[in-house]
Amino acid sequence: MTIQYQSQKVALPYMQLSLLLFILQVVMGLWLACNYAFTLPQGLVDVFSFATSRAIHTNLLVAWMLLGFMGGAYFILPVECERELHSTKIAWLQLILFAGAAVIAVIGFLFGWTQGKPLLEIPVPLDMVIVVAALLFLYNILMTVLRAEKQSVLQWMLVGGVLFLALMYLFGIPFYSSLNADYYYWWWVIHLWVEGAWELITAAIIAFVIIQVTGVNRKVVEKWLYVETGLFLFTGIVGTGHHYYWIGAPHYWLWWGGIFSALEPLPILLMVIDTWLHIRERKNPVVNQLIWVYIVGLALYHFVGAGIWGFIHTLPPINYYTHGSQITVSHGHMAFFGAYALLNLTVFYFALPQFKGIEKYEAKAGYWGFWTMAVSMFFLCLVFGVAGILQVYLERMLDIGYSTAHMMMMFWFKVALFFGVCFLAGVLTTVYHLFTLQPAVEARQG
Amino acid sequence: MTLNNARLVFWVGALVSAAIFGWMTYDFHQQEEKYAHNSKIDEQVVAGKKVWHKYNCNVCHTILGFGAYYAPDMTKAYYRLGENNIISIVMEPEKVYRDSFRKMPNLGVSEEEARNLVRFLHWTADIENRNWPPQDEKYVKAAKMRADQPANVERTDIVLGTCGGCHSFVNQGRNVAGDFSDLARESSFDRTTLIRFMQDPQSVNPDSDMPPQNVTPETAGIIADFILSLR
Repeated sequence: MTIQYQSQKVALPYMQLSLLLFILQVVMGLWLACNYAFTLPQGLVDVFSFATSRAIHTNLLVAWMLLGFMGGAYFILPVECERELHSTKIAWLQLILFAGAAVIAVIGFLFGWTQGKPLLEIPVPLDMVIVVAALLFLYNILMTVLRAEKQSVLQWMLVGGVLFLALMYLFGIPFYSSLNADYYYWWWVIHLWVEGAWELITAAIIAFVIIQVTGVNRKVVEKWLYVETGLFLFTGIVGTGHHYYWIGAPHYWLWWGGIFSALEPLPILLMVIDTWLHIRERKNPVVNQLIWVYIVGLALYHFVGAGIWGFIHTLPPINYYTHGSQITVSHGHMAFFGAYALLNLTVFYFALPQFKGIEKYEAKAGYWGFWTMAVSMFFLCLVFGVAGILQVYLERMLDIGYSTAHMMMMFWFKVALFFGVCFLAGVLTTVYHLFTLQPAVEARQG
Repeated sequence: MTLNNARLVFWVGALVSAAIFGWMTYDFHQQEEKYAHNSKIDEQVVAGKKVWHKYNCNVCHTILGFGAYYAPDMTKAYYRLGENNIISIVMEPEKVYRDSFRKMPNLGVSEEEARNLVRFLHWTADIENRNWPPQDEKYVKAAKMRADQPANVERTDIVLGTCGGCHSFVNQGRNVAGDFSDLARESSFDRTTLIRFMQDPQSVNPDSDMPPQNVTPETAGIIADFILSLR
């Protein structure tokens, strides 16, 4: 199978850059674990603080996720719209602006240039560059969709998701004099991205991949897509309230936030069910089994990491103790890996063989990569969870001091560091495999 | 289910939720004064918040539980540590945390910036946020009771509520400056010297790294009695 439209090629640099940033993100993660596991000398901490490394770790995460989504969107849209992209020049300009802003941001962090908001550390002038890149992207996909012969649910879901994403980003830019309001709108970016805009975009992309890979009826997939995204937005928007329990907001948020966010796993469960049904009723033969493994892995990990791991600490009486602890770290890692990292990798496994015109590829290294990542991430999150439970129990329930609780956690972060190294090995294997895809042996011989 | 019904689920789901959320956002702003006392945000609080952002504090510390989980939560830090301690920690972390298992970077914060930061943290500590974080409630209570009715406070509560940010006792508090049992055994100060030491440590021992404490002579007396009782 090869690409059907020339303009799809512009997705390739997006995907390659995305994978490189993924590696850097994980390397920075290992360094963060070292910060927790060992006592670092003052001289080192003064020049390269935890804050700087954490800003790099999380911003690289967002950057490789968004590059993956954008590359994925550019890859699927020509096929979905049955025409070339509106402009590959715009796509290139957008990539240069976005990547340039990311590189300058990371260098800036090293010299203390920051907006000082967690996850949204990028300073305002660079925010503007990113907004321009986002507008170029929106314009480009909108023009492509508008000129398509046939309009589809999937196209508009993608455009809507990108519009939603771009709009929400704006709420993180201004300076708020009240910390209370600051965090109210901070969550409009963070929560409404991951529980709203990102879910729309990725649901559309994965629906496309499922249609292509399984060959099931588009109508069926589109129906599921509407219901799932509808439920994502229904539970997710008011569900934002589960972040407002302890910021100084009216009491009813405990109820609304609690109930709606407790329902957030439902649409993900539907995704697991529909993936399973589509695979069972597939019309296409299994050519590359690895991508099916990824599709199933994505559905299950998404449900466990984002759904179950989120559900267990979303209700106010539990959240009072677990809020802002390592339990959140456990949930964050499992959810981002399950919902979004695996999604990007699924899309890459769908797209990259097509650039090389490979029908069936040699998949051994790919399996090693997948299983090493999946298993070590699961253990990593268990270890974070153990550290989190210890922290909550010691510091918040027994009221033993902060330092006792954190010193107890140092051991667990050494264990986390071990699983982090395993995870990095899985990532390197996967990225190596994706960069060097080869036709399968029997295909070469035949 | 037909495609039209599925589309209906999507739009109804999205719009109903957005409408509820929109109304709640409106109400949140209506009630901000009640919960966050926004009218008390003056120039110093705003300047302090800018200091908080400038030095990326939130990417090691949580505040309102958000941010990075590497360093203690700052929501109620004003009550946990008090003004002088916050200023000393922020300006000379390498001294305060010389023996700590975890270090804080010296970020070159000026004294004016540190004072504004304290104003910001004071405003933050008064946000009515249902007594979160749980582990800092004792500091808030101790600080408020010290101000209103010092006679009614349990002695250990007042000691830990005042000194627990740096000293520990029976595994409570944060031990960066010694456990009270050890201090009591090692020190030979009498009651008056102890009180003087708390209020101005360097006048008693010029080499001490302990910052002068914002405690009244009465509170200092209660703490001195507590330490003496451990000998």
